Amino acid sequence: MIKIDTLTVQFGGIKPLDDLDAQFVAPICGLIGPNGAGKTTLLNVLSGFVRPTKGAILLNNALLLGLSPRRRVSLGLRRTFQQELVVDELTAMENVQAIADHVSRDRAVARREVGLALDFVGLSDRRNTLGRQLNLFERRMVEIAKTLIGRPTVILMDEPGAGLNESETERLRRLLVEIPSKFNTQLVLIDHDADLIASVCIETLVLDFGKRLAMGPTRAVLNDPVVRRAYLGRE
Amino acid sequence: MRVFAFAMYLLPFIASGIGLGAVYALASVGLVILYRASGTLNFAFGAFGGVAAFLAWQLAQDGVPAPLGWIVGVAVSTGLAYGYGRVFAPRLAHRDRVVRAVATLGLALFLFGGMALYWGIGVARRLVLPTDLNFVVLFGVRLSYTRLIALGLSLAMAGGIGLFLSRTRIGLGMRALASDRHISAAIGVRVVQIDSLAWLVNGMFAGIAGILLANINRLDAGTLTFLVIPAIAAAIMARLSSLPGAFIGGMVAGMIEALLIATSPEIANLRSAGPYVAALIFLMIVGVGQGVGARE
Amino acid sequence: MTEISKIAPIPLVVAAGSEITPRMRALAIVVVVSAVSGLIALTSGGYWLSNFTQAYCMVLAVLGCALLYGQLGLVSLCQWALVGVGGWVSLRFYHYVHPPFFVTILVGGVGASVIGMIWGLPALRMRGLYLALVTLMLAGAFQSLVTVISFPVGGPGFLGQVGASGNDRINMARPVFASSDTGYFLFVAGATILCIFLVEAHRRTKPGRAWALIRKNEQMAVAAGVRIVFYKAWAFALSGFLAGVAGALLAGLFGQLDASAFPTTNSIVIFIGTLLGGYEVWLGAFLGGILTRFIPALLIDLNVNTNAGFMIFGAALLFALRDPLGIGGQLTILAERLYKKYQAQRAS
Repeated sequence: MIKIDTLTVQFGGIKPLDDLDAQFVAPICGLIGPNGAGKTTLLNVLSGFVRPTKGAILLNNALLLGLSPRRRVSLGLRRTFQQELVVDELTAMENVQAIADHVSRDRAVARREVGLALDFVGLSDRRNTLGRQLNLFERRMVEIAKTLIGRPTVILMDEPGAGLNESETERLRRLLVEIPSKFNTQLVLIDHDADLIASVCIETLVLDFGKRLAMGPTRAVLNDPVVRRAYLGRE
Repeated sequence: MRVFAFAMYLLPFIASGIGLGAVYALASVGLVILYRASGTLNFAFGAFGGVAAFLAWQLAQDGVPAPLGWIVGVAVSTGLAYGYGRVFAPRLAHRDRVVRAVATLGLALFLFGGMALYWGIGVARRLVLPTDLNFVVLFGVRLSYTRLIALGLSLAMAGGIGLFLSRTRIGLGMRALASDRHISAAIGVRVVQIDSLAWLVNGMFAGIAGILLANINRLDAGTLTFLVIPAIAAAIMARLSSLPGAFIGGMVAGMIEALLIATSPEIANLRSAGPYVAALIFLMIVGVGQGVGARE
Repeated sequence: MTEISKIAPIPLVVAAGSEITPRMRALAIVVVVSAVSGLIALTSGGYWLSNFTQAYCMVLAVLGCALLYGQLGLVSLCQWALVGVGGWVSLRFYHYVHPPFFVTILVGGVGASVIGMIWGLPALRMRGLYLALVTLMLAGAFQSLVTVISFPVGGPGFLGQVGASGNDRINMARPVFASSDTGYFLFVAGATILCIFLVEAHRRTKPGRAWALIRKNEQMAVAAGVRIVFYKAWAFALSGFLAGVAGALLAGLFGQLDASAFPTTNSIVIFIGTLLGGYEVWLGAFLGGILTRFIPALLIDLNVNTNAGFMIFGAALLFALRDPLGIGGQLTILAERLYKKYQAQRAS
């Protein structure tokens, strides 16, 4: 669970996040908003890369302020980035192993967790393929597998479906809905695909200009006229 | 009272450091200008200067009137820099800053090798300038006219280029390029033209700095080529961005070196390490650059 | 055959997951280095034997430099200065204690490792350009310093100097079983093989994976729980250790070291050798290191001014920057393709 309290981030004259109050309680939550709304900034504050000017964040009742990014990882925070960051010279398995090296309890556990994660995302038979030989979908799967290592408690995913075609997005969708139950973790999802968000996320937070525009059950939020105007007004 | 006495004690060394400081200041400003415009730190700056100095010296030896020799020297260093900027630098424009700087290191090595090959190393030579003959006494130190001219020249050139950057359109283009290359290119700033101009200015500064250093210190391939290191140290202290800072940094570097020379013979041998250590300490204290961040 | 002309440069080449197993790679290392060393030992006279021994020391220096650049993208322009530090420390230690040669080597390695880390650590948090500058400054500072204090020659005091007459200079002894020139060369070759194994072991396991993450994207590495400074320091320590070992071996070769052998330019040349040989594969370090000594030695032999060597290296750098593979990389790709063809033919 994530609790966000009057969170403000200010750089000079710009306020990427403005007095934000929100809670992520449901097993899968969505985070949407027009471009520049502050979604990635929020993830960066959660990860510990950006220091808030004001406000606090609680991760499973632990205060995040002042904790280093590494410390947050040990609390179970995991994250993917907008661009996939698979290392070309390592195999799929080694890419995931590289994460297990630092978050798994010991080597035996690491081996098991890596195997489970690769199985779950369907890359078992591609485990020894070099990163540069994997296609985009497989690379996104590796990124997801990386987040499943070492007992995650909250996984932040930044546009996991970007660049995927329809059948791949469907496969992604089926995977995402199973993560909370299979890995006992919460999932917070940023994406621009409204259908994906609607079919996967139970609750959704909508940001606009760094402020909270709407929050609640996803269907209701997506049908909210205020939200629709915010998106349409931008085009 | 003690502080005042100490300051009085230092003044002669400060005075003797004027010439060297002026050269370093000139070099530092030249480096910062090029870095701001093209993102490349030019390790070959000293080598360009060395070429200019050696050519000027050689032409004087061969009977050519000295002023002509200087002009040819500076022209050649300018041409070399412009040529590199036109031919080699664009091919590396898409690589990161470190690669581009390392490439200039290769150029420096190449030029150093050439100078050492043709003119030899370890031969005691000085580039004598007519203004060496007259001097002024300042705080008990003899300052040749050359050193005063060096100071005046570097002030004038640094000031001139500063004005150029802030008052002219091309200068504006250079400053735009420094902030963002891609956007600048997209809005029509002529990237290649401005880059080449920046290299040209760099070569000119280098030639003049080289000739002056060959007079103040000595005409030696190694000394001139590695002039670039204290100059870079000074430029770093200006965070590779401020022109006045670069100028002051260079003057300070020169004075520190003069101070070290005068302190004791043993430390004098270490004087070339002075600017390096100062720059390192400065970097550690100020902590230039980000901690976690994408590598440039 | 035409295969050679079809080799297009791939940005990054050999990795753990290719069909070449670690065992085969280990075999290749031993076979290639042994074969080359054997050939050198059999055909070289005193001049070339000494130069190839020095060349192998440079291989170790390049190995460290390639580690930093290839694994982490860090440019270190002080590797030869660290070799000098290793030489100084091992000479100082030798004159003090007269230990077995292996201990001297280790002490030299550790000494250079520590100094390298002290100088490099503050720069690790900065942009890559500043690291390059700081290391270049270290090389320059070392040149100034060692010109003043010289290398230890068995005299009294910390600096170990003797009087101007130089008659009391003591040479560092080589190990008893490797005291002949040929014997010492083969000893150094063996040390080289061990060091290559040391680096490969790092690359294939946890530190290598951590370095790969850091190199790909530091933020991502932090978000994955990697201790950035620790792993960068580890790479620095290993790189410095290799340089220190090279210094100790050099000291053993000549018995004494001279400050004139450690100018700033040599550190730059080591980096050039790293690029020329190719920083992705061990063969690159091996060939690059040999080249950095071979070219000057050849020039001397041909009575050409060695400054021409600087011109060659300088120009080579400008062109080597375009090709990340280097000579070693190209050869390795070629070897792998030939091997795969051979495997395919055997299967059919």
